[in-house]
Amino acid sequence: MVNELVQGILLGCYYALIACGLSFTFGVLRIINLAHGSIAVLGAFVVWTIAEQWNISPFLALVAVAPFMAAAGWVLQRTVLERSLRSGALTPLLSTFGLAIVIDNLLFSKFGADTRSMAPNIGDLAFASWNLPGGVTIGQLALLTAIVAVALLGGLQLFLARTPLGRAIRATAEDPDTAELVGIDSRKVYAAATAISMVTVAIAGTFLALRATFDPYAGSAQLIFAFEAIVIGGTGSLWGTLIGGIVLGVAQNLGSQISPQGFLIGGHLVFFAVLAARFFIAGRSPGSLVRSLRRTSP
Amino acid sequence: MPNTSSRREFVKRASAVAGGAALVGAPAFWETAGAAEAIKVGFISPLTGPLGSFGESDPYVLSLVRKALAKGLNVGGTTYSVTILDRDSQSDPARAGQLAKELINSQGIDFMLVTSTPEVVNPVSDACEAAGVPCLSTVMPWEAWYFGRGAKPGAPSPFKWTYHFSFGVKNFFDCYVSQWHELSTNKKVGVLYPNDADGNAIREHLIPDLQKAGFTVVDPGGYEDGTTDYSAQIAKYKSENCQIFNTFPIPPDFATFWRQAAQQGYTKMVKIAQIAKTGLFPDTMEALGSLAYNLASACYWHRNFPYPSSLTGISSRELADGYERTTGKQWNQQIGATMSLFDAGFQALKNSGAPKTKAAVAKALSRLKTTTAVGVVDFTSGPFPNVSPASIIGSQWVKAAPGSKHPLDLVITEHANDAKVPIGAKLRPFS
Repeated sequence: MVNELVQGILLGCYYALIACGLSFTFGVLRIINLAHGSIAVLGAFVVWTIAEQWNISPFLALVAVAPFMAAAGWVLQRTVLERSLRSGALTPLLSTFGLAIVIDNLLFSKFGADTRSMAPNIGDLAFASWNLPGGVTIGQLALLTAIVAVALLGGLQLFLARTPLGRAIRATAEDPDTAELVGIDSRKVYAAATAISMVTVAIAGTFLALRATFDPYAGSAQLIFAFEAIVIGGTGSLWGTLIGGIVLGVAQNLGSQISPQGFLIGGHLVFFAVLAARFFIAGRSPGSLVRSLRRTSP
Repeated sequence: MPNTSSRREFVKRASAVAGGAALVGAPAFWETAGAAEAIKVGFISPLTGPLGSFGESDPYVLSLVRKALAKGLNVGGTTYSVTILDRDSQSDPARAGQLAKELINSQGIDFMLVTSTPEVVNPVSDACEAAGVPCLSTVMPWEAWYFGRGAKPGAPSPFKWTYHFSFGVKNFFDCYVSQWHELSTNKKVGVLYPNDADGNAIREHLIPDLQKAGFTVVDPGGYEDGTTDYSAQIAKYKSENCQIFNTFPIPPDFATFWRQAAQQGYTKMVKIAQIAKTGLFPDTMEALGSLAYNLASACYWHRNFPYPSSLTGISSRELADGYERTTGKQWNQQIGATMSLFDAGFQALKNSGAPKTKAAVAKALSRLKTTTAVGVVDFTSGPFPNVSPASIIGSQWVKAAPGSKHPLDLVITEHANDAKVPIGAKLRPFS
């Protein structure tokens, strides 16, 4: 029982790591990035290619890839997201959905249908563990994932709260026009935010590839847990995303204690309960529900 | 109302077309000799999408088949030219059905061949059954094909045009019992079967048989595909000391499960880890790293099969070697399976005596008894008229010999389903 709880918390940190980029993009740019999963898999493929090519550790490869992902984020913002944001709230949804299809199929034509994993590149770390008294097992990779998740989400939160760029990002997220009045170049801020978000997505993709397997079409499967973590934790708040991920992971593991089928249902039930509670507290109008989802104060 | 009249118009036209089609389909004698000598065969398989691994070697097999048929197919002294129209289902069942209809209605195919998983085979078989086009299929459990499409046990077969040869639950049972007696264990089997079509069919049919054969089965219950944590199940297998493990998961779920089982110390307890549905192809095994060594699997074709392809005359070994030479990739079991589909299909066309007459081809399928790359295909003695069970052979993924081009090798460890298949090695304990 204690072990299941511990596994649930570790799993929740993994969800939060996967959800981090999505949460950031939504909080700052007000875009639900449906290509999030596909971009994570793209990041995994790039990191994997470099790790295999030069026979280096995936973590080292990730450090090398990060600047390129940031640049790709900048380009993505300027060429796709910015344009689609201009034509209403629905267009970014459609354009990121289209982007997901394009990325999936480009990856397929380049890498084929093979299933891959980066776990073989890190040897025993993929399945080594520490045994604690009381039947508790802590996987080394799972713990590393949790540490990275807490560091990344916490670091971003501090960055938003304490640094000038963080403040500019928050100001632009609240009201881009007023932010421009006080001398903030909102286009630059948006592009910087997307660049940061892409780096976090590359990290998420790498951990996805270390923990499980990936192939060109693996992106969308991870998206639902990321969404649930964000909604449970309250959109726009990064600490909230971490807590949301942990709540989701623990709920799933408690659900599977009741029945193996309860794993996914347990998570979905908590998700639904939180959504319903928000709806209730927010004053029972769909408009205020949307506003409550868009709470951005860090 | 213009709407009503146009609809009436449409019905009239449609029935005229249908009548015309029936006229064309039934009496072939008035057709000119030249037109009668070209056969069109449809072939649908998943080349892209999540099932893309199944279709990966199909272009290679198609190239061999086209080469063998370049001079046409000789049926009873008449040489027919053959066109194979190959289509990619993109792993989408709706698209598979749509492609089948397009091949039937626009291309006017005489015969359909289809392979790999219920997502491709069932919609295509249904379209052919509805349109009255003979269809032969393989590589999916025959129970899911036969009962999954509405046939009832005890009732006569409702299918007139569609035929299927592939493994079934009984084949898995025979293979597993033979395989699991290779090593001494406590005969306790931990099973991880998902709550999906395959998992539930296996749970319902295989578990009682295993219990009758003297195995204790520990089943925590069906989990949902896409589950990302298996602590509850692993704790159960550990507390029950299940030395045999069996699973039918979708491949990504198995990778997650197996690493977690290693983290929690269950893999050190397992003597035989028997996996199905995943572990068919080398790449999914390579993705597991060192945790893949000594996983037991079951294969429907192997490069050491003693049977040559009847259509091309190429031996099983040469089929595998040729694939490795042409593509640089390791051979996989789908090569022989797709080849056997063409072997059996074209044998039926030959036996029919009139490959352009659909009823004659369907009749030839019902009487087909031939040897293909995967072994004997026999529709005269199956459990049901449209079904021919095919063998499944116990095998094991082992670390390849030093100097090998690929990290893993698949070796045959038992042959309860087909004694002609040579055993390559004794089953090794997982840990």
